[in-house]
Amino acid sequence: MEIFAEENGLKGDPRLRAIFETIRVVPHFPKPGIMFQDITPLFTNPEVFKHTVDIFVERYRDKGISVVAGVEARGFMFAPPIALAIGAKFVPLRKRGKLPGEVISEYYDLEYGKDCLEMHIDAVEKGDKAVVIDDLIATGGTLTAAIKLIERVGAEVIECACVIGVPAAMFQGQKRLNGRPIYMLVEPKDFEGS
Amino acid sequence: MFCLQFSSFTTPPIKNVEGKTVSSYTASGISVKSGSSSNPCAFTSTKSADSWLFCGWSSGGGALAAAERGKMSVAHLESSDVDGVDDRIRRISSTIRVIPDFPKPGIIFQDITTLLLDHQAFKDTIDLFVERYEGKNINVVAGVEARGFIFGPPIALAIGAKFVPLRKPKKLPGEVISEEYSLEYGTDIMEMHIGAVQPGENALVVDDLIATGGTLGAAIRLLERVGANVVECACVIELPELKGRERLADKPLFVLISS
Repeated sequence: MEIFAEENGLKGDPRLRAIFETIRVVPHFPKPGIMFQDITPLFTNPEVFKHTVDIFVERYRDKGISVVAGVEARGFMFAPPIALAIGAKFVPLRKRGKLPGEVISEYYDLEYGKDCLEMHIDAVEKGDKAVVIDDLIATGGTLTAAIKLIERVGAEVIECACVIGVPAAMFQGQKRLNGRPIYMLVEPKDFEGS
Repeated sequence: MFCLQFSSFTTPPIKNVEGKTVSSYTASGISVKSGSSSNPCAFTSTKSADSWLFCGWSSGGGALAAAERGKMSVAHLESSDVDGVDDRIRRISSTIRVIPDFPKPGIIFQDITTLLLDHQAFKDTIDLFVERYEGKNINVVAGVEARGFIFGPPIALAIGAKFVPLRKPKKLPGEVISEEYSLEYGTDIMEMHIGAVQPGENALVVDDLIATGGTLGAAIRLLERVGANVVECACVIELPELKGRERLADKPLFVLISS
């Protein structure tokens, strides 16, 4: 089931409040009507960035996780520190044409058209246990593609984790993503301002 | 810290000579000068197939200024743990995968994704940068999209600095400043959030590799436009024939591997 950190052992954890406060909402980006959840202020606050990484590390260490996959580009900022702390491989999942070696590709729907996520075919092995990290989950399209890529090579996705998650109502009542659990730290923030 | 790989070498192997002044020698037509008697130099060397691997420390400003730009230089030894550094560099170097004709024919691509699969090598990479920069009052680590996002944040977290992403156009929401830079054909644009970096802050620029130096040069200009002090550029790999060093506005460059 979809899990917010507060419902899963971290109730009242002040770190979650700090993370939530640090997120900045930018209205009408990248286009009108979208209230963009900007996590970059989190990186300019070293203590809050550390809290974010620590929460994921505490959750995933000593669980036999051998792969931490990060979705380009904002997932690249969270996943490597987690991988380093828990002793796992870091695997970048990239837009089409960026990875230089032999890749497998997974296409997924956008509002208009399709996009593509790629993974090096030899980065993940059968039997690997993986978590997938991104900054935010909205429709779940990108993370679903990520799960499919990893499972195509015979590895298992234990969980997808994001800093910001849209509540379950957005997944048409599904509380899992392609059958895999989702873990999120905070809900999206409302825009306060003129 | 420099790690240099030569394809041919004409003088005898140089053993670890910590604390001892070594006179100049020539390697494949590249002249390398050591320091003076007050600045002892030390190297270790290892022969691997037909190439030599040298490891040494650069103290940055002064020692680099003493060597000619664009030429290989090995200067002060700052760490007494030379063997530890050598072993780590050797391992890191062995994990990098070379892919010919990517992204187009004639280009030899240095793929660091295989380094990221070796936990010890990835950890050693970050440690080598952290050992150099911790306690040096670095306030900002700026990382260039996208592979700079992989190395920058772990370094920033370890040294207690902010991480600032430098991105392709229209990716950063909110107010940005933009800097144009040259590509082989045409130009590209790099952007940074306004307010991410304050005047007077000490900054590093991090990317996986320096080739022509165009990207890093743009990064330096962005940071300086907001009044930051760029202390150094740090990359895992340098492609020295492309002379990227010369495009860094005289800022020092620190690399682990020169390829």
